[in-house]
Amino acid sequence: MKKEYYNLGEQALKMAKSAGADGCRARVGGERFVEISYRNRKPENIKEATTKALRVEIYVNNRFSSQSTSDLRPDALKSFIENAVASTKLLDEDPFRTLPDPKYYQGRQTVDLEQYDPAYESLTPAVRHAFVKAIEEGCFARGGDKLVSATVQGYDSHEEELQMTSNGFDGYQEATVFYGTAQATVKDEGDRRPMEFDAAMALCRQDLPSPETIGVGAAERALALLGGIKIKTETLPVIIENRVVARFGGGFLQAMFGSNIQQKQSFLADKKGQSVASRFLTLIDNPFIPKGVGSRLFDLDGLTARKRTMIEAGVLRDFYVDWYYSRKLGWEPTTGSPTNLILPPGARSVKDIMKDLGRGILITGFIGGNSNSTTGDTSIGIIGQLFEKGAPVHPVSEMNIADNHLKIWQRLVEVGNDPYPYSSQRFPSLVFADVVVSGL
Amino acid sequence: MPLFPIIRPEGRAIHIGEDSMKSVSRRSFIKSGAAAAAATVAAPLLVRNWAFPAPAAEAGTFESGFGVTDALCRKVLAEAMSRGGDFADLFFEHTISNFLILEDGKVNRAASDIALGVGIRTVKGDQVGYGFTQELSEKSMLAAAATAATIADSSGGSAAVAFVPLKTKNYYPVRTLFSAVPLEAKLPLVQKVNERCFALSDLVRKVRIVFHDQQKRILVLTSDGLKAEDLQPRSYLAATVVAEKNGKFERAGWNYGGRREFSYYTPEVVDKLSRTAVERTLILFDAVQPPAGAMPVVLGPGVSGILLHEAIGHGMEADFNRKKTSTYSTMIGQKVAEPFVNIFDDGTVPHLLGSINFDDEGTPGQKTALVENGILTSYMHDRISSKFYGVKPTGNGRRESYQHYVVPRMRNTYMTAGPASPEDVIKAAGRGIYVQDVSNGQVKIGEGDFAFYVSQGRMIEDGRLGAPIKDVNIMGNGPKMLANITMLAGDFEFNEGGAGACGKAGQAAPCGFGQPSCLVKSLTVGGTRG
Repeated sequence: MKKEYYNLGEQALKMAKSAGADGCRARVGGERFVEISYRNRKPENIKEATTKALRVEIYVNNRFSSQSTSDLRPDALKSFIENAVASTKLLDEDPFRTLPDPKYYQGRQTVDLEQYDPAYESLTPAVRHAFVKAIEEGCFARGGDKLVSATVQGYDSHEEELQMTSNGFDGYQEATVFYGTAQATVKDEGDRRPMEFDAAMALCRQDLPSPETIGVGAAERALALLGGIKIKTETLPVIIENRVVARFGGGFLQAMFGSNIQQKQSFLADKKGQSVASRFLTLIDNPFIPKGVGSRLFDLDGLTARKRTMIEAGVLRDFYVDWYYSRKLGWEPTTGSPTNLILPPGARSVKDIMKDLGRGILITGFIGGNSNSTTGDTSIGIIGQLFEKGAPVHPVSEMNIADNHLKIWQRLVEVGNDPYPYSSQRFPSLVFADVVVSGL
Repeated sequence: MPLFPIIRPEGRAIHIGEDSMKSVSRRSFIKSGAAAAAATVAAPLLVRNWAFPAPAAEAGTFESGFGVTDALCRKVLAEAMSRGGDFADLFFEHTISNFLILEDGKVNRAASDIALGVGIRTVKGDQVGYGFTQELSEKSMLAAAATAATIADSSGGSAAVAFVPLKTKNYYPVRTLFSAVPLEAKLPLVQKVNERCFALSDLVRKVRIVFHDQQKRILVLTSDGLKAEDLQPRSYLAATVVAEKNGKFERAGWNYGGRREFSYYTPEVVDKLSRTAVERTLILFDAVQPPAGAMPVVLGPGVSGILLHEAIGHGMEADFNRKKTSTYSTMIGQKVAEPFVNIFDDGTVPHLLGSINFDDEGTPGQKTALVENGILTSYMHDRISSKFYGVKPTGNGRRESYQHYVVPRMRNTYMTAGPASPEDVIKAAGRGIYVQDVSNGQVKIGEGDFAFYVSQGRMIEDGRLGAPIKDVNIMGNGPKMLANITMLAGDFEFNEGGAGACGKAGQAAPCGFGQPSCLVKSLTVGGTRG
């Protein structure tokens, strides 16, 4: 397949040039995937396909457009690219619209990121079905009589991506992805049917937990929500569980993007070198973790990947600045998007931390909510457990937390010892003091 | 089920939330590239002279343009039914999407995407086999059909020998295709909004404008002999404004659109959009901290209809009820609200974002009562669930694209007007909050607990509108909220936006909504002021 990708990429660059583009980036991406879900011990959905698509980014006299197609018939491709170039010429000139300076392509690491697992090749329909059935059995076993419904799914894919530019960049990467998930619904009082899920994803099949544990996890999490009630509005310490930290942290992260900074939509724009969080927050962007979900050797601009300390003991050290916005801001580019985000874990487990906290809420899920990247204001619905002295009291529902990112991260008082392994954002559970939790 | 899901910069992140089945692959990296551009409020363009092989009103595009003949489709359907099954269908799609983006005074970015392919589905009871291909060759289609057929395990079923074309009403007639509108005509539209926004206030610092247009051509063929072809237009014009006052920045935006063609974007729309976007930004400088806790909430007309989408809409999608995972699964025929409450899901509202001439499995567009005089009346069905419940399909079988199988989805969900005046509704609230603009929402189907994010609103003090508030999440429970609707005003409005999308099972679908001013006795307001 690699050769086919290169042929298509080279052809696209050539066509763009003869149509009058003075610069072009071609991306070819595709995958082969199989997705199987089960319900009531029989397949509910089986889906399988192969995809391939081309994206061209055209530069003509500092004018820019980005166009993609899955219609790769030779005639269609030719007119697609000719049209792309012709329409780009009609846009406004912008001196910052260029391909990156090739010096930023230099110095690429030669390390093997181990993102392709040869075990993928030996997957058979029987193996795939057995994996999904085992997830379901785990869910049934743990859910027992309370279980109303379980939907489980297994997914695997082989993905490929090629990027080439007319000024000398060339990068290809491929990865395998293995994923299992379960959704469990249990019967509560009245008409309430709490639903929860568990999931695991890895690029190497061996790194997945046993499928049963995914099913058990979903059922346990759903059962833990039985009897959820709303309590009075109160200021409390909260623990955000590892697997949902990324959703809350996303509101902070978006203010670190060059596009938001240049567009005056970032509450962090003037905070470089300043304290934006307590000393417990260090954030490292590491693209080189073997088998890492976010690992890469270059980014979407082709810029060579580097390990970066984004936040160091609460002090903001770096931003995500892609090539275009670096030019607009007059800054050096870093990279346009995060790779693997590492927040160094603390020493204690969530269980131990809870014992010392007195009364608080363990947040296991979020609902709705949003965050304003311009001001840092955030408000989001929570799902979780009220606890006192380490012991769960009851689940909470229909409740909410609200704060400002510039304030709440200063009240980060402890970091758990449990980095979440199934994501590019390997965050441990985080403990915040004095959060307004609204309810009754 | 987030509405207006926050699009992450790059794929591969597990979407933590209700929608945990979402694929985690970088499968749509090319698409997400365009989507990410759009999310940062950038992304339209239309390739000039890129025309369909057939004019808008003319059927037969897939045959004349791509060689998809009835004979070939019969063969593919026969393969999809080769191991038995109740029925099979083919969903052909050719979609051209364009984004044109203005930033810092220049239309300096354009993006477009062409999606072409066919999805092939075999259905047996509630089981679905699905394959799709981007190559419309006989070989590729037969291979995808063979994949779909694996869901069944008996001897061959039958496929139709002839197709009967479906005739439907057209709720979004298109006189001029977007592909016939030259780029030169679109550029001034975007530039005018930019100029107007800056002219309205000298506090304005940044303006970002997006014009998006899309024409989606679909063809559905079923093993029971139905053939339906449609052209679904979609477009919007969106403005995001950043203003600065005393060193403080605020941002807000607005959009107009729907299943609209280019002639919709008149100077009046440009003016209305610019004013709304600028006014909504400037008022934020006066905003006070929102309160926290349970209190009366008045939902203003129009966009607040997202409340219905989350609080009752998703829970009434029949798949969740068939699987007994919805809190509404035992409530059909029961009183859920006061007798003056009527809620509909309707695919027939002219030019509204969620309207469809027929759904993605060929059931004609129609209006479905969800709540009639306070009684829960009907779920929203696709073919699978309608067979399960022994009712007619309601035309809610929808999908994001040929890469996805059908699931029951909302179209335009709205609550009809009541007798009160908007002032009376606000007065009756006493002390609470008034919701003006909502950016996104989410629901947990099983519990019925939902949230929606108020990007802009007002305090209500002593029965009158008070200081502005912003950025506050509101939580509630669907069945409780319905029972707590105590007043409806006569100021019903549809939301005239075109930028929203609802996410379910990893698929995005355009949906519309509307409602009059509405008083809910109590919801949890997620502010910081106790």
